[in-house]
Amino acid sequence: MLFIGARNLWRSKLRLVLVAGLIGVPFFLLLVMQSIGDAVQRQTEILKQNVNNTLQLRARGSMGHVNMVGNEDILPQDALAKIKAIAHVARAEPYLLAMTPTEGHNFAMIVGVDPQDTRRLESHGEAGNPKILFGRDLTDEDRGKRVAIIGQGVAKWAGIKPEDVGRATLTLDLKRTHPVIFALDRPPVTLTVAGIYASGYVFGDMQLFMPINTFREVYGIAEGISWLYVRADSAANLPAVERQLRTMLGDIADIISPTTVAEFQTTATAAVQRLAAGGIGLAAALMVVVVFFVMLLVVRERAWEIGTFKALGASDSGIVASFLTEAVLLCAIGALTGALLFGLWGGALAQLIFGLGITPFLPAHYTTLAATLALAPRFGSATLTVLIVASLFAALAGSAWSIRQIIRLSPMEAIRHE
Amino acid sequence: MNEPTVTNERVELAQLRGVSKFYRKGDETIKALDGIDMTVAEKGMVAIVGPSGSGKSSLLHILGAMDRLTAGEVIVAGQSLGTLPEAGLTDFRRKTVGIVFQSFNLIPNLDALENVMLPMEFNGIAREARRQRAQQLLSRVGLAARLKHKPRELSGGEQQRVAIARALANDPPLILADEPTGNLDSKTSQMIYELLKEIARERTVIVVTHAEALAELSNRIVHIKDGKLVA
Repeated sequence: MLFIGARNLWRSKLRLVLVAGLIGVPFFLLLVMQSIGDAVQRQTEILKQNVNNTLQLRARGSMGHVNMVGNEDILPQDALAKIKAIAHVARAEPYLLAMTPTEGHNFAMIVGVDPQDTRRLESHGEAGNPKILFGRDLTDEDRGKRVAIIGQGVAKWAGIKPEDVGRATLTLDLKRTHPVIFALDRPPVTLTVAGIYASGYVFGDMQLFMPINTFREVYGIAEGISWLYVRADSAANLPAVERQLRTMLGDIADIISPTTVAEFQTTATAAVQRLAAGGIGLAAALMVVVVFFVMLLVVRERAWEIGTFKALGASDSGIVASFLTEAVLLCAIGALTGALLFGLWGGALAQLIFGLGITPFLPAHYTTLAATLALAPRFGSATLTVLIVASLFAALAGSAWSIRQIIRLSPMEAIRHE
Repeated sequence: MNEPTVTNERVELAQLRGVSKFYRKGDETIKALDGIDMTVAEKGMVAIVGPSGSGKSSLLHILGAMDRLTAGEVIVAGQSLGTLPEAGLTDFRRKTVGIVFQSFNLIPNLDALENVMLPMEFNGIAREARRQRAQQLLSRVGLAARLKHKPRELSGGEQQRVAIARALANDPPLILADEPTGNLDSKTSQMIYELLKEIARERTVIVVTHAEALAELSNRIVHIKDGKLVA
């Protein structure tokens, strides 16, 4: 009977194409939703990996920005060598920070960082990982050179277009003031913009990164560190590293344990994942409805056949198995069709949906945000499981009821059934 | 299968006592069969004749456990159909009866050979054995050259011969034919009747028809009207 069920698939090529399409489209949407959820989850995991085993050190009571009113104290330079000697410290990354006014009461952050170190973004998700949209990132060759990468918010403020990256320059006037920025008696400096990045949030895009030794030269800071990121060799060793740091540095530093730094991102991820899960649920429900009605029609159309099978001595279970086989295979073909569509257009659609879902909440110049997430049409074991489970569920839920309506009739009642 | 009962030196295959079949159509209760008493001997051909709506098909379906009876008792090949559970009825249909429908009821996406093999598959017969028997049966009904043809590629007469071969597949003692020539021309009908008559030499064949001329070929004619047997 299973073989008969399988052969029934090919009874009508038109029906097969139609049903494969009807099941394939919701399945395609299901995969797209899952892709969005997975991409956001991956982003968060990367963030957590960069955060959960990292401590941030600043001069006690100071934000450590070299021109910020009341926050200009920075850590002594020798702290770096001491910290590197502590057991379980895998890496120490020094930053220097300043601020520059932009328009109105707004300002941008200026960050000096070693090109080998992580570009952490201030105020939110310090794990960083900004994505270069145009041009290139900082490299070792940029050390000491007047080169910077800027967020797309800074680019917009400075009027730098993507096609100008590599040639465009940005001048920092260190004498400009702001209610929280004091003037530095330093000459203005012009930096070549090597790249424009997207961070995924407004303030992250209002930052500028330059090599840390360039920063020292520009701001006249021969020694000292604004922020020092200390990475332990594992998250488990982080408390031990923190204890040693407190003992060693005493009251000169605030040690910020950033276990909750990714909280905002995690919350945002959870929201997107809830949306994606809702989408998956809707797509699965749509599949069930499609299969339900297709199988209802198929069973009604073939009630006489079920009656004939019964008249010839087929068992009810055999008949049910035959139709369920057909339904499962129909769903499997629909799922494969959906997967094929996903392989062809899934990444693009996921990107589009993600963009549509997020961009209305962001300023207009963030329209390229969706591009910052890697939404490639990929299949993991989780996707495969979803594929199989959804096919089986849709097939069984969609067909079992309609078959049961006919199977309980006598052979002649089934043959006469309309 | 149980042995048929022997009464007064006649071997009886089927016995009906007070068989009634009612069904509702809207507010009206239709009496398709109304207190039928009848016995059918083993082997030979019985024609059930009557006008449309007389209950002849209902009687045939009750005999083959294809439909449920409202009252009475039906015993076929020693099995009381009213007391059999659903699985028992399935087993009965599989082993004791073979049915031929007016509109053939062949499975459209299976070829002639596969259609004939189907009841044997339900009966758990090994694939090769059922293939060989199906080939023999199709040769017997003159379709040795049409084994691989789908129903739509066969004429009406050929389709009905496939259906007859299918009814014989599990070698049942009782063949039921419901208006087997209803969709065929007179020449083909004659051929089908002769085939059924030949089959009736070795088992019981009950044919429902309203063609008196064809019924004349049977060993016995039973007349039915308004759900009751008439002399």
